[in-house]
Amino acid sequence: MEESLISQGLSLMVFGMGFVFVFLTLLVGVTSLMSKLVTKYAPAVTPTPKKRRPSAAVSAKANNDEVVAVITAAVHQYRS
Amino acid sequence: MDKINDLWLASGIYNLQAGQFVMLVVGLLLLYLAINKKFEPLLLVPIGFGGILANIPEAGLAFSAVENAVHFAKPEVMSALASVLGITSTEPHSILEAYHTSSASVHSSTVLAAMDGGYANGMLYNFYNVSIASGAAPLIIFMGVGAMTDFGPLLANPKTLFLGAAAQFGIFATVLGAVGLTSLGIMDFSIQDAAAIGIIGGADGPTAIYVASLLSPHLLGAIAVAAYSYMALVPLIQPPIMRALTTEAERKITMVQLRQVSKLEKIIFPIVLLLLVAMLLPDAAPLLGMFCFGNLLRECGVVDRLSDTAQNALINIVTIFLGLSVGSKLSADKFLDLTTLGILVLGIIAFCIGTAMGVLMAKLLNKIEGGNAINPLIGSAGVSAVPMAARVSNKLGLEANPQNFLLMHAMGPNVAGVIGSAVAAGVMIKFVG
Repeated sequence: MEESLISQGLSLMVFGMGFVFVFLTLLVGVTSLMSKLVTKYAPAVTPTPKKRRPSAAVSAKANNDEVVAVITAAVHQYRS
Repeated sequence: MDKINDLWLASGIYNLQAGQFVMLVVGLLLLYLAINKKFEPLLLVPIGFGGILANIPEAGLAFSAVENAVHFAKPEVMSALASVLGITSTEPHSILEAYHTSSASVHSSTVLAAMDGGYANGMLYNFYNVSIASGAAPLIIFMGVGAMTDFGPLLANPKTLFLGAAAQFGIFATVLGAVGLTSLGIMDFSIQDAAAIGIIGGADGPTAIYVASLLSPHLLGAIAVAAYSYMALVPLIQPPIMRALTTEAERKITMVQLRQVSKLEKIIFPIVLLLLVAMLLPDAAPLLGMFCFGNLLRECGVVDRLSDTAQNALINIVTIFLGLSVGSKLSADKFLDLTTLGILVLGIIAFCIGTAMGVLMAKLLNKIEGGNAINPLIGSAGVSAVPMAARVSNKLGLEANPQNFLLMHAMGPNVAGVIGSAVAAGVMIKFVG
C-alpha cells in the first residue's frame, strides 16, 4: 500500500513534469510560428506614426516659410 | 438571577475552548502581518478576519445547519437527525460521521431536518459554498489576473516559457516529499492531499485554492494560508537561493532590449493558448480558459468596460468573499494539528525547489545561447507570484550592475509561470482527481 503511494507520487512527478514541458514546448513553437506569420502577413502598423512625424515636420517647415514670408514682407514695407 | 445565569452560559467567555482561543490569536496574527508588515494585505486581511469570525464560540458561522444542530444537541432534534440518517445512536460523533458519509439525497434531507429543528447554515459556510465549493471564486479571480496580464514580454521572447516550466518542478518534488513523509509514517497524506500541497510551489493563490477545493477540501485553509504567506515572503525566500546558484559575472549579464510586439499577436495569443489547452489538456480548461478570456478582454480593445470590471471591481468583490471563505476553514478542529505544520514546511520546500530549478534552467538556456544572452536571475521569476518574483529578479540584477534593468525580461518567465502552474494543476486533477 505504502509502496504504491510512493510509486503513485513518482509517476505523478514524471508524467506531470513531462507533460508541463511538452505543453510549454509546443506553446513556444506555436507562439513563434504565430509571431512569424503575423509579422509576415500583417506587418506592424508602426509605419503610420512614422509617416506622420515627417508630415508634422513638413508642416512646421511650411509654417516657418510662411512666417519668413510675412516678416520679409513687413521688413520690405517698413523699409519702403 | 436565572436570566443572568442564562446570559453567562451563552456568553463567549464561558464557551471559549482552548483551540478556539489559539485560532483567534492566529487570526489576529494574520491581521498583524497583513496590516503592519504588508503581507499580501488584499487577501490576508479578509482571511484573518474570516478566521476570527469562524472561531467565535457558539456563533457557528463556519458550520452547516447539521453541524450547528449537533453542537447544541437538543435531544428531540438529535433523534430526528438520527432517524433521517437511519442510525440508532444519537451520539453527536456518530451522527456527524453518518452525515459526512451519507449519499446526496440523505445528505440534503438531513439538512432539511436540521432546519426544521430551527438551525441554519452559518454565514461563512454559505460564503464558502457559493464561492469556493462551487469553484467560482478562484476562476473569476483567474479571469481578472488574465485581464491584468501583459503577454508582450513573453511574446517577444517565447523561450522564457521554458523557465516557467522548469520552476514547476518544485510542485512535483513536493508531492514526492509528502508521500515520502506518509510512507515513513510521520504524516498521513493521501495522494490527493500530496498533490494539493505540492501546488503551493506554483506560488499562485487562485490555482492553489482551486486544486485544493477539488482534491482535498479539508486541507484548504492551511494550503491557502501557506500559499499566500509564502507569496508575500518571496523577497526574503528567493534572493539567497538566486545568489547561491549564480556567479557575479552571470548576474551582470545585460539582456538586449525586447522587440516590439504587435497588437494582433497579443490578440491571437490567448486564442492559440486556449486551443492548445482544449486539444491537449481539457482538465486545465477551467483555469486557463478563464485566464485566456480575461486576457482577450484586455487585448481585443473593443470591450474596455468589461476588461475594466474584470480587473478591478469584480476581482475585488470576489477577493472579499474568497478571503472570508478561506478564513472559515481556519476553525480549530481543522487547522490545529500536525498536518498544518507539515503543509507549511512542505510548502516552503516546494517554493525553494521551484526557484532553484528556474535559475538552473535559465543558466542552461544561457549556455545554449552562447553564454551572454540570458541573465540567470530571471529564472527565479518562473515560479509565478506575479509581479513580486519579477521585481526580485530586477532588484538583484540592479545590485550586480546598476545599469541592468531586468524587470521586463523577468515578466516573461513570470507569466509563463502562471501558465505552467495552471497546466501542472490540470495534470494533477487529471491524474489523481
